[in-house]
Amino acid sequence: MIRVEIFSTPGCDRCARARQTLKAVAERLEAVSWREVDVLSELDYAVELGVLTPPAIAIDGVLVFPSLRAPERLLAELRRRLERADNGGSPL
Amino acid sequence: MKREFPPQPAAQGLTVGKLARLAQVSADTVRFYEKEGLLAPARKSAAGYRLYGEDAARRLRFIKHAQECGLSLAEVRELLTLRTAENACCTDVKSVAVHKKLVIEAKIRTLQTMSQALSELIARCDGGELPLDACAILAALEAAEPRRAPQEAPTP
Repeated sequence: MIRVEIFSTPGCDRCARARQTLKAVAERLEAVSWREVDVLSELDYAVELGVLTPPAIAIDGVLVFPSLRAPERLLAELRRRLERADNGGSPL
Repeated sequence: MKREFPPQPAAQGLTVGKLARLAQVSADTVRFYEKEGLLAPARKSAAGYRLYGEDAARRLRFIKHAQECGLSLAEVRELLTLRTAENACCTDVKSVAVHKKLVIEAKIRTLQTMSQALSELIARCDGGELPLDACAILAALEAAEPRRAPQEAPTP
């Protein structure tokens, strides 16, 4: 299971729109879990991962997209990881 | 309520010195902010002196306060732009503040890691007046593996 976490600021319209679009992308794939993280209520975790400009995305506990990226970029990254897992590759 | 930042022509206009006193900053600070494009005189006097509107003092206090909160000049500029932007809203300002808080929190953690590393080094020293080549701190610095930063954000 690939763990996707999106870090965003509560009340931010830009974050909310991005969350919806990116969530739809993640939900298209099986074996992907989705969690929405409020940077202010989980500040320590956000800082530990290096989040500076929400919305940002971490995959399996590593900040992969430090700032907002197109949904296609997330989809491509998730597909790459799933493919790698299918081929028995080591986790990224 | 949205306030206009571009200086409004005052009846008389404030000189650099008067404006600086009003905003409780130095004249050099006024000139610096002007050079950075954060402030502009409303007009010039017949003798060529820069004259500022009443609004400039409020703008100066805003800049000063924002800088005290740790905001960079670029961030202050962004806030000033947001303040007058037609389509901007409070969440845009909040985003700037959240970003700054994250940056500061990350710095705090880095400093804590550095402080902890120094504590470990200090703990190695027994004190006394040994020659420098017997200094445990210097020896530890020479022998130690480079410490990793707490978290390095990978670029996608």
